[in-house]
Amino acid sequence: MTDLGYLLEAILLLAVPFVPIAVGVLLRRKFSPSPAAEGAEAPAPTGAQKAGRLIGAVLIGVGAASILFMLIVLLNFKGYI
Amino acid sequence: MKAPRFLISLLLLALAGGAAFAQEAVEWKHQDFRPEFALFTESEAYTRETWTALPPLEQTRLLGEARQPAGERLAAMTVYYETAMKPWNTQELNGYAAGVKDADIAAVKLWLGQTKAEAFKKKLSVSRAMIKKAAAEGLDAGDRAALQPYLTPEAIADLGSLRAAASLQRQAAVKADPARNEIPKGAVNSTLQGVTGRLGGSVSGNLAKAFDGSTATGDVTPVQAAAGRHDIPAANTAVSGLTGRTGALANKSAGAASPQRIPATPAVKSSVPAPLPGTAAQKKSTAWTSDAYGITVQVAGRPEPLTFRKARDAEAAIRQLPDGSISRITLYGHGSPGMQTVGDDAYDPDSAAAMLKGKMARGGVVQFSGCNTASIGGASVNPAVGISMAARRLLYFSLPYFQDRMDGVPAAQAREQWEKTWNADLSRDTSLQMRGTVVCGYRTFGLVPGRLPGLTRLMGNQEATTPGYVAGKKVCYRDGREVPEP
Repeated sequence: MTDLGYLLEAILLLAVPFVPIAVGVLLRRKFSPSPAAEGAEAPAPTGAQKAGRLIGAVLIGVGAASILFMLIVLLNFKGYI
Repeated sequence: MKAPRFLISLLLLALAGGAAFAQEAVEWKHQDFRPEFALFTESEAYTRETWTALPPLEQTRLLGEARQPAGERLAAMTVYYETAMKPWNTQELNGYAAGVKDADIAAVKLWLGQTKAEAFKKKLSVSRAMIKKAAAEGLDAGDRAALQPYLTPEAIADLGSLRAAASLQRQAAVKADPARNEIPKGAVNSTLQGVTGRLGGSVSGNLAKAFDGSTATGDVTPVQAAAGRHDIPAANTAVSGLTGRTGALANKSAGAASPQRIPATPAVKSSVPAPLPGTAAQKKSTAWTSDAYGITVQVAGRPEPLTFRKARDAEAAIRQLPDGSISRITLYGHGSPGMQTVGDDAYDPDSAAAMLKGKMARGGVVQFSGCNTASIGGASVNPAVGISMAARRLLYFSLPYFQDRMDGVPAAQAREQWEKTWNADLSRDTSLQMRGTVVCGYRTFGLVPGRLPGLTRLMGNQEATTPGYVAGKKVCYRDGREVPEP
């Protein structure tokens, strides 16, 4: 049981950097601009859509930076850096 | 009986005095140890500050160790200098003018003194200036007289005919009859133009190529007439570039284009002998990744800090410092929970406290510049801190725990072992042993931009002894309690 608990913990810790990426992707999808009607011009995005997409982009960036950071730390731990 | 006793006493006193003298500190660059200090300087093993900080016994030991390699290096440098100061023939002129760098002259200055370095520098500058002048406008009687101490008569003659030779080569190229040539005219012309045209640039490296086919690096390469089978032998080209016989030889080359290769003349060894193997200069890292670590000691009253690459040297120097004299010490290296390395040596709270016992000034600071040299501490909203903490738990608990389990260690034992150590606090534990001293470390991994692969090589700081900017969450303790960073 101890081993399983620690295994679960390790999986969760490894998944931490992917959480902001997943949230960011969801946000960007949720706040994507409304599709334009046939022949009509696409409507301008609302303030909420702009903010939602921006926050989504920031979260994706944070997640990507976190994965990069973990990689650097791992390489440092292994003595490559 | 009294006389022998008196003599024995005198002898003992003399021996004791000699031993005491032997243990006196040796001044940096003392004249009696000139080669040894030249070796230290060249290999960047010590500076005036780090040398002065060493105990006399250590100085004596190091001087003894350096005696033989320094002697060998001095002998090699003397041979190099004496060879270089003999009158040069054309090939040597060529090689030295193109190959000697400022660093070579600096090495001569370091090992053989300012006077010899100046003499060598003057010979080089006169020779280089005359090569340029010879190619552009020829040499007059004054120039030949100025060159006499430096060049052989043949070399001066060759240099004097350089301009005429170039002119003859051009004529030879024009007169060459394409119908009778066994090699294409274009190929011959390109060779001759390659030789003569570059002389106009008047750069010594190009002249080297015109003389004997050697490049500025001293490597001899044949002048290519064309790709493949129409190579004109390098030695022929060299002679034709230098003497009045140029035209005839150039015609011969153009007409016959003998496939037989004349062996190229050996390159002149123009650079100073390489530093001895095993010295720091030889060991200097040129890797793309960083090899930076060291100890920096700021002593009260000294404007410049003492920096040490080897922990052993630092410890010896610290032992010699008076009590309460260190205002700040930075240990730079790789850290992990509860310990930090400096090169091949590692420090835990006990060894760090033992090294600095009594030496820290009131309010002095011990800085552990290594990752995870403090515990994680409380929660933080900073995502970088959070991710660093997650990485620490993974690397220093999960990984070793499962490694132990795979090795058959019981779960309870592995758990107890790694739960205890993964969040150890080197800084706090050290501060508990050094009352009154502020001890700082990093709660997170510390990212040093100067250590990034590639960048470290570009900056040339692979072997820095002091960290620059460190991105990480710092914490300081005094007597085991968290205090603001001083």
